[in-house]
Amino acid sequence: MTDADPIASLMIVFYALIGGAIRVSTPFLFVALGECLTEKSGRINLGLEGNLILGAMIGYAVSYNSGSAWAGVLAAGGVGVVLGVAHGWICKLPKVNDIAVGLAFMGLGTGLAFFFGKPYIQPSAPRLTSVPLGAWSDSPQVQQALQVNPLFFIGIILAVFLWWMLRSTRWGLVIRVTGDSAASAKAMGVNVDGVRLLATAAGGCLAGIGGAFLSLSYPGSWNEGLSSGQGLMAVALVIFARWNPLRCVLAALLFGAAGALGPSLQSIGVSFGYHFFNAAPYIVTLGIMIASARSRSAAVEAPRELSIIK
Amino acid sequence: MLNTRVLESVLIPLGALLASALIFAVFLLALGKSPVTFLSLVWTGGFSSWFSIQSALQRAAPLILTGLAFAIPARIGLTLLGAEGAVVIGGFAAAAVAIPLVGAGLPTAIVWPVMALAAMAVGAVWVGLAGWLKHHRGVNETISSLLLTYIAIAIVSFLIEGPFRDPGSANKPSTMPLGSDYRIGGMFDSSVHWGLAAGLLLAAALWVLMARTPFGFAARMTGGNLRAAQGQGLPVGRLLVACCAIAGACAGVAGFFEIAAIHGQANASLAAGYGFTGILVAFLARHNPLAVVPVAILFGALDASGGLVQRRMEMPDATMLVLQGIIFIVLLVSDTMYGRLPFLNPNRSGART
Amino acid sequence: MTQAKLSDCMPQIGPHPGGAMSLETRAMTKTFGALRALDDVSLNVRAGSFHALLGENGAGKSTLVKCIMGFHAADSGATLLDGAPVAIASPRQAQMRGIGMVYQHFTLVPCLTTAENLVIARPDAPGIIYWRAELQRLEAFMDRMPFRVRLDRHVADLSAGERQKLEILKLLYLDQRVLILDEPTSVMTPSEADEVLTLLGGMAQRGEITVLMISHKFREVKAFCDSFTVLRHGRVTGSGCAQDTSIDAMSRMMIGETQLRARAPRLTGEASGTTRAAAQPRLTLDAVSADDATGRRVVDAVSLDLHAGEVVGIAGVSGNGQSALVEVLAGQRALSGGRVLAHGQPFAPRRADLDRYKVFGLPEEPLRNAVVPRMSVAENMAFRSFDKPPVAGRFGLISPARMRAVAAGLIRRYNVQTPSADAPIETLSGGNLQRAVLARELSGDVEVLIVANPCFGLDFASVAEIRAQIMEQRNRGAAVLLVSEDLDEVLELSDRVAVMSAGKLGPVVAVEATDRDRIGREMGGH
Repeated sequence: MTDADPIASLMIVFYALIGGAIRVSTPFLFVALGECLTEKSGRINLGLEGNLILGAMIGYAVSYNSGSAWAGVLAAGGVGVVLGVAHGWICKLPKVNDIAVGLAFMGLGTGLAFFFGKPYIQPSAPRLTSVPLGAWSDSPQVQQALQVNPLFFIGIILAVFLWWMLRSTRWGLVIRVTGDSAASAKAMGVNVDGVRLLATAAGGCLAGIGGAFLSLSYPGSWNEGLSSGQGLMAVALVIFARWNPLRCVLAALLFGAAGALGPSLQSIGVSFGYHFFNAAPYIVTLGIMIASARSRSAAVEAPRELSIIK
Repeated sequence: MLNTRVLESVLIPLGALLASALIFAVFLLALGKSPVTFLSLVWTGGFSSWFSIQSALQRAAPLILTGLAFAIPARIGLTLLGAEGAVVIGGFAAAAVAIPLVGAGLPTAIVWPVMALAAMAVGAVWVGLAGWLKHHRGVNETISSLLLTYIAIAIVSFLIEGPFRDPGSANKPSTMPLGSDYRIGGMFDSSVHWGLAAGLLLAAALWVLMARTPFGFAARMTGGNLRAAQGQGLPVGRLLVACCAIAGACAGVAGFFEIAAIHGQANASLAAGYGFTGILVAFLARHNPLAVVPVAILFGALDASGGLVQRRMEMPDATMLVLQGIIFIVLLVSDTMYGRLPFLNPNRSGART
Repeated sequence: MTQAKLSDCMPQIGPHPGGAMSLETRAMTKTFGALRALDDVSLNVRAGSFHALLGENGAGKSTLVKCIMGFHAADSGATLLDGAPVAIASPRQAQMRGIGMVYQHFTLVPCLTTAENLVIARPDAPGIIYWRAELQRLEAFMDRMPFRVRLDRHVADLSAGERQKLEILKLLYLDQRVLILDEPTSVMTPSEADEVLTLLGGMAQRGEITVLMISHKFREVKAFCDSFTVLRHGRVTGSGCAQDTSIDAMSRMMIGETQLRARAPRLTGEASGTTRAAAQPRLTLDAVSADDATGRRVVDAVSLDLHAGEVVGIAGVSGNGQSALVEVLAGQRALSGGRVLAHGQPFAPRRADLDRYKVFGLPEEPLRNAVVPRMSVAENMAFRSFDKPPVAGRFGLISPARMRAVAAGLIRRYNVQTPSADAPIETLSGGNLQRAVLARELSGDVEVLIVANPCFGLDFASVAEIRAQIMEQRNRGAAVLLVSEDLDEVLELSDRVAVMSAGKLGPVVAVEATDRDRIGREMGGH
């Protein structure tokens, strides 16, 4: 424990928690938005964890080789699209179980990332520069906490865009129809598999970008322990957010805060139970799943074609 | 009819393995490596000598157990990913319960069964929880079991680094070592530990349970059509939890042997990914407990040859992960072939309305 | 055969720009494998008429309209609109031609609101939807319509009748001028049905639309339709003026001259009214209540006594809680209030209680509720017996050989057509599937039998056979609870009847003491 007065250390924890929540939540936000879009079309992609890790690795490698972090972000999105298209294509085959396919892609994405990522563990690549939102304050903790990555803002804008698109565009309605009743969609002349393929590809792209955030911003380097299930927790997060992109932002921030709890306590020297706090996001996720599984509002808002709901 | 179905369930997975091998060969060629060298190294490392066979069998043991841990819940319709967590937390329970017993100098005839039971019980409760949440709270078991795995790993690392840490383990936090007297050795002068025997025994027992007992029949009914099972008055909730608990106990046994036969103490090495490879094993075995055994041995051999491939071909250790990922995906794609093999279904080739 | 001239039925309406169109099919034929579903079918629906398409299940009505809508491609024959041949390859093309259909299953999207459902159904739905302007236009449209549905409600929250109205509104909103309705009133109360059909009839008479309605309710045909066509085994067996043709004549065209359905013999024995009152009921429902997934009460304090040797029929429009009631008794839905007694003892739908009180069931949609599609016929037939001797032998182990032997006996006795006892049961036809379930549930000693919509979607022969089996169980002394949406079935089989409406059960009365009209009023909640 430090010797400083308790109020000051509490403030430090508070700022660290806010900053941490923003940092930790960004990859959650991207994966959750991707998953949300995919699930709105009636398909579930448990493989976004693989997109996240492969995106992180490719993003880092491209950034290192090209010298541009943003090129890395684009490449990560691109590889996410490739995995998403593959997932979408396989799931449209009859008798194929989309949950299992997601697991397989989780494995393949992780494997490919570790396979090709070996040479990039040591070197350091250009990172995304953050926006110093804390410049007004002279407290270094505040400045440190409010170093916000541009991807966070892009994520928020994206969430608003998706919310608007699902509500007020033909494309958005078509996606929701497909996710809610494939029979109705077919009767309208919608190509159900095509819509789901595109939604999965777009979702995969977002997850890949979320991965690029991990390696190019926070923690900001490539290693094999970079992701620890964020891609999967995003699935739970989407259920918690009841398939609403705006609520995904809040949920991601909540998850981010849970994930930042351990490190922010460590910042004032509380290291006891660090590993226990590592479990916090998972425990929060599980708690949320339990709370929302039988909730009335979730039952009403769930896309009815989702295999995970049936 | 029956023969066609059996034939399909052998031919299609074999075909998928072959197709995966071809895809992987292309992958190797694209990297400028020789698939032939790879194959010969797998042969050398996994099958060619008594030494490599022992090494393969040793690695197959936990895969049989974790394969069963996925296959049994799959028969009742659950996609359960809790095995990895149950290996870790079961293994830890075994190591933790052993500390006072070993300290008291009790004989192995008492210590080992107590350790094994502790591992099975903790594993069963841990994974059983996912089944309970599924039935009573409607929580999706795939996600909950995966979260439980992450939680198990985090809790065990917390305990190993905190209250249960052996002060002597400086670099790699571990629990108190068992001591060589309490280590389980190889079977019949080999280096293959008794976990293989346990795996074979459990595979046979679980096959009988699922295929020949009313419990297994009821579980298969529930997995095939929950509403029909309810309509027949079956205790669906208890069946679900029981299948999950069996899965957790199998994984717990794997954890016990990891402690008692391999590591001698609980540390981060417990999370070696056996739980996740077990999923692939179970899928390839089409969730048949007996078929899990040969498939696990195959993957054990692949794993055993991994080091050799790494050294001789200068490829990263993730090579096997890539191969497994390819096999898994091709295997799932092959599910679409059931009932559609032209030479097995000559009269069903016409369009069905 | 009566071939009245259709032009006599109604006043001629000339080509009406922007109004009703005539619809014809000429010599339409469609085969599925060996089955000739449509055989040279010519249908003539005049512009502005309200035409009924009659026929038994499997007569080819659905196939015919699906060929018109472009779901199926007919093998030969043509569809004509306003006298001109048109090629329609998909429902979308039918829609663009102005032909719209209301299906038996809903095509509305439950998570979307009424407004969203209407807008997205439009082929010219805009890329970006300006909701304020859209809603104003929709309100204006609703004001012009004879009935309305609230625009901001989610479809999931609408009642079945409201959804059916919305389906029809959708077609009118899309400016479809030929409306094909597939048994549109099956989910409506009689008064709702009358309201909707009256209004559609009015629109047809004003020459705004043409209606082709699939129905098997003669009352509706007589009351609302001007003309009709009857199909049997894929052929046209008659057509004419609805007003000039008697119900008897129509029903003969539907089921043929040979025989009207013979009623299963009903033995009157010991189960007369007085002894019934004195005896202990076999099954008692005491204020049974249940909720749906969203917490809405769907079964509301239902009380009922079921005695030996009687059939109690529960009639009602689908979606009024009958299915939920059966699910409660089958253990598929939790009891949220009240209790169930068997022989006066507390009863739970557990295996031990099912065996002790000899409770059996024929649930609706057997593929969904009664069998495991991927398990073999033999295994499916062993669902009641797998945990008892002789199937379970020493050490409680199941003997597949004995299981197969038991199944082989049942297959012979109940005449189940299956390639082998080891074939997956999902490969059986509907009638054989239901026979396999009957064999399993009725071959033993039955004291209580719970039956739900047992003949839905089955052919004439299977229907007669299954009803006879149910009646036989009653005659042997079983207490039978029959839940059916088919009022004829309820009236044919029941000793006592009651109507379920909005989750509540009306008074249970002897079948002789009531009639169709009274039941019909009760179905509407009056």
